[in-house]
Formats: sequence, C-alpha cells, structure tokens
Amino acid sequence: MCLLHLPAKNGGIKINTFHQFKMMFLAQLKLTLREKQAWFWGIFFPVILMVIFMVIFSGSSDEEFKTEVAIVDPSPNPASELMLSQISGLPVFEIKSGKPVTRDKAEEWVKDQEVDAAIILPESTEASSVFLVINKENEQGAAAQAVSGILDKFVQQANLMAAGASPKYALQYESITSGTNELDYTDFLLTGMIALSIAQGGMFGMVDLVEMRRKGLIKRLRMTPANMGIFGLSDMVMRLLFSIVQIILLSLIGVLVFGAHLYINPFTLIIVFLIGALSFNALGYFFSSFSKTTEAYMGVANICSFLMMFLSGVFFPIETMPEWIQPISSILPLTYFAEGLRESMVYETSIATGALWAGIGVMVIWGAVTFLLGSLLYKRKAIAADR
Amino acid sequence: MTVLEVRNLQKSFGQIKAVQDISFSVNAGEVFTIIGPNGAGKTTTLEMIEGLVSPDNGEIHFGDLDWNKHAVSIKKKIGVQPQSSAMFDLLTPEENLNLFASFYDHARPAKEILEIVNLTEHRNNHVKKLSGGQRQRLAIGLALISDPEIIFLDEPTTGLDPQARRNIWDIILHLKELGKTTILTTHYMEEAEKLSDRVCIVDQGNVITLDSPSSLIEKLTDEREIRLSFLDGEEAAKDADNFLKDAESVSKTEREGATLKIWAARPEETLLDLFKFTKEKSYQVEQVSIRELSLEDVFIAFTGKEWRD
Repeated sequence: MCLLHLPAKNGGIKINTFHQFKMMFLAQLKLTLREKQAWFWGIFFPVILMVIFMVIFSGSSDEEFKTEVAIVDPSPNPASELMLSQISGLPVFEIKSGKPVTRDKAEEWVKDQEVDAAIILPESTEASSVFLVINKENEQGAAAQAVSGILDKFVQQANLMAAGASPKYALQYESITSGTNELDYTDFLLTGMIALSIAQGGMFGMVDLVEMRRKGLIKRLRMTPANMGIFGLSDMVMRLLFSIVQIILLSLIGVLVFGAHLYINPFTLIIVFLIGALSFNALGYFFSSFSKTTEAYMGVANICSFLMMFLSGVFFPIETMPEWIQPISSILPLTYFAEGLRESMVYETSIATGALWAGIGVMVIWGAVTFLLGSLLYKRKAIAADR
Repeated sequence: MTVLEVRNLQKSFGQIKAVQDISFSVNAGEVFTIIGPNGAGKTTTLEMIEGLVSPDNGEIHFGDLDWNKHAVSIKKKIGVQPQSSAMFDLLTPEENLNLFASFYDHARPAKEILEIVNLTEHRNNHVKKLSGGQRQRLAIGLALISDPEIIFLDEPTTGLDPQARRNIWDIILHLKELGKTTILTTHYMEEAEKLSDRVCIVDQGNVITLDSPSSLIEKLTDEREIRLSFLDGEEAAKDADNFLKDAESVSKTEREGATLKIWAARPEETLLDLFKFTKEKSYQVEQVSIRELSLEDVFIAFTGKEWRD
C-alpha cells in the first residue's frame, strides 16, 4: 500500500471551526452517554434521592392532624355537657368509644397509650378546672402538646363566654410570599433537588479534567493544532445539556408523581440556570486545578457537596437550622441557586427582582473567583508539571 | 536535506539537569533513534522538540520554522505518539481517528490509517478493550492521521510482548518505505540496531555518540569475546588457560568451572592455536562461540557502565 505517497491535499478533508466543534461535541456526547458513572450520579442518584425524601416527608401531608382522646364526665352537669358537645364538635379530636367513660378506664387507656390524652370535665358548674391526663412517656410528643394547646385555647374561650365577653382579638393565619404562589414541601424539595443535581454535576463533573491530565490527554491534544477553546466550549455545552435533561426529568417526576406545582418564569429560569451551572462548573474547575489524582478531587468535591447539601436549604428551609449556622448558609452559592430556582420555577418571579440579583451576584462572585484561581493554578503548573 | 535541527538544548527541572547539552540534525526520510537508559533525558528532549516543554537554552528549527513564530505550522507538519499513549478510552479507534482528523485542515481518511496500523478488525471496539499492542498501534495511527512529514514515536514498544513489538517494527519500516522521517526513542538496543539509519546515544542529558549502528560498532576495538566449554571438566579448562598465557593476541582470560572466556584481538588465530592444543591433549570441546558486538558494547565502551533494559 502506498497511500501516504499521495500529496496530502488530494485525499484530505477540508475542515473549518464549526466542523471541529461538531466533532468535539459528538465525542463529548458519546463519552458522556457511555460513562456509566455519569448516568448513575447525574440521573439515577438525584431521582432516587428526591423520591426518598418526597415519600418520607411529604407522603402524609394531605392527611389532617387527628388525635384520639378519652373523655371523663364524673358527674354530668350543664357546664360539662356544654363542653362535651363542643369538644365532640372539634374535628381534631376523635373521642374513643364515642361517649364519656369512667376515670379509671380512661387512665388505663392513657397508660396503655391507646389514647393520646384523657380530658376530665368539671364536676359542677362551679368547679373551675378541666384536667388533662397525659402519658408521661408522651409528654413531649406532638400529639400531647397539640391536645394541651387546643384544650388551653378552648378553656380560654369558655372562660370568656362565661364572663359574657366576646373575644376581641383573634389570630388569623396568612402566609405571605413575594411571588404569586405558595410553596408546599413538594415544590420546595423538587427545586432544591434540581439545584443540588446541577451543582453536583458541576462540582463532580470536572473530574474528567483530572483524568484527562493524568492520562496525558490534555498534553496530547496540545500537540495537535486543535483549538483548545473550542474543546472547552464543546465540553461546556455538553454539560449544560446534561443539566437541562436533569431539570426536565426531575420536574416531570415531581409534577406527575408527587403533584408538585410549577409556575415557571422562563426568562428568570434561564438566567438563574446558566449562572448557577457555570459557577458550579467553575468550582469544579478550581478543584481540578489542584488535585493530582481523581481520588483527591473526589474527596474535595464530596466535602463541599455534603456541606452545601445540608447547609443550603436543599431539603429543609434554612430558617429551621440553628441560628449560628445560618450565616454560613448565607455565603454558600447553593443557597442562592436553590432560592433562584424556587423564585423562577415556583413563584414565577420576574427577573427584575432585587433580591434575586443579590443571589445571582453571590453566584457570579463564586464562579469568577474560583475560575480565576483555577486558571492561575493551571498556568503555574503548566511549567512545572510537564514532565 | 535536513528537516530538523537541534542545537545545544538544555533543560532543568529544579535541581535536576534533565538535558545538559544535546545537538543533532535529522535528514529527510531517515529513521533517527535516540537511545539511552531510563532518565537519560530522551523524553524531555523529544517534548522540547514537540513544543510541549520550552528549553532553558538552545534552538530547534524545522527547516525555516521555529516554535516561537510558527507553532501552528509546525503542529501541522509533525505527528506525535507520546509515551503515555493518551486517547479517549470510551471512543472506538475509528472515532478517535475521526476526532483527531477534525483538528487538521488536511487529514487522511480513518480507514486508510486503520489499515496501516492493522486495526481494521477492531475499529468498532472501545479503546478500553484493546490490548497494549493494539493501543500502541492506535497511538501511532493518531500520529499519522494528519499525514505528517515528521513522525515522533516515544518508546512505542516499551512494555509490549515480542510479537506486538515486531508488529510495531513492521509499521515503522513501512513508514520508512513511504518516505517519512521518523524520530524514535527506545531503550532497547536491539530495536535501535534493527530499525535505525542513525543512532544518537544519550546518557545523563548529553549526546555520547551519533552515527549509523554499523559504523558505531566498527569504531569499537576489534577485540572479541570467545567462549569455550570443555567436556573433560575443570582440569582441561585450567590447562587451556595456562596454554593461552603465552598467546600474543589474548588480552585477558576468565575461567569459571569448565568454561573459559577469552578476549582476543585476532580470534581466528587464537582459536586455531587452541584447537591444535586440545587435539594434542585429546580434550573434547563441548561449545564454542564468538560474541557479536552490539550497540550495547558501544554504550559500555563510551560510558563504562553496564547496559540495563
């Protein structure tokens, strides 16, 4: 065979920049699709995690709070009869056996934890106390607390009525959000999981760079006239596409299986998504710049990802955490990414909102600083680490 | 015609002087081999020529081109197979070749390259599943995809079994038939002798000697090592040893049991005398051999050190 004798121009393929981008992108696409790890951590893991959390924490949220109590009416009188009829009317209390029982019987039920509490009605119109019998083991339990709270309010009202006054102040609940729609836990968790998956994609995904460097692939590409800028761009486009697949998949599962409500402001979503995804990729790039081995990289990425997972309000609102932790949350980028996604996917917040831009600002700072540090480290090492 | 000229290259990494002073020039169409033990500075020299590492001192010219002004033109002219044989493990050989082809204005079709490196059969397997030899052939294929004038092969046969190594030799000889210039590093002397038009022996970052394999060997002393072993045991060997003490052309002898090693400037004459002596004494000789000189002896002669693979 004398193939190589031919002048290069005859059998050659003329290329241009777009062709190079296309080939690089196709290669990235194949590499991602063929990498089992990418499927597991990028798709399977977030889906499983979200499903577990949703099943555990929002599965019973449709049911109303209900508690079973026993009523003791030692000597029926007008006051106790009035109270009995009113308590029976409260939907939260389910009265065991439907009618008053003896005190002994009621206490036995409490002891055996067959009821959450026993309510002992006043013995006469003059008697002023209502007894509440609660099992000591359950004293701090939610049901016992709730029963005592409800009963307390009930007694107060009864007092007012007895004094002939009508309540002047009544507490009325109203939840206020800056957006149009309210947030329930499913929506909260869904948006949090989307933020987490994209963040992890960026923080873990750059391990490819460490691997490529370790195997000498970066060096190999530098020996060709390949445009490394285009190579980076094709890699970035691939990662963004993968993240879009994550958003769509998680949203579909959240909405179709768990009944999440999404009201999307597409423009805000695109901005938040792009800035968030890029800054977490910058974070991963930074990790890759100082990690010599994939193990070292994964260690750093794991620590950061775990810290952020629990401190950034992905699973639970930041407000439920101890106060001293909250300042840490307020500097983490994932806090603002999750918030930004909630604003754009649940509250339909418009891009012109100030608070949103503060969050975007924090993410941009994280992205820019880590990217610059990473580039600096890469440049410094390029000279020393070539051997 | 000179296609590559290297003058007074120097490179240090911290305290370590990897390359102290290396100069040579390579002619069009030849297989030029840089050989030396591990850590001699072969790879660093090659990486400076390939533009990956900038030298502390010295010049590199590809005809009229140099790295400072014509990096892209040089990259289009050369094809490199680095020691690490880096490629995309989850792509197939064909996909790897097509991807690399997209980096160049003019590239050979992947199909042709697959035939040259004998991987047509495996073109659709993931690289991850290829054997060491197949991987190495693909690495050479990637170096050929741009149809380069100058091909750099950095230890292409290290760690391969004899058959896989011979396959790579065939490819290198084929490239030579096609008129390509090949610059090869190896630490196998046998390989350098078989493939090269000229050999540049380096040690501790310096060029020790540079010539064709045969003239390098010819330049050595004509003293040869003769080995004789006797069926009659130690006594016969001792006797022969004593007999040779008076022989003029013998510089040195060494005896180990029934085996005698003789270093002689005129081996034929010495052997003739020896056989006369053994016939006289009716000793029986079991084995006779004269060792051929190889590049290893050149290395030992120049450095005074043993050669280790």
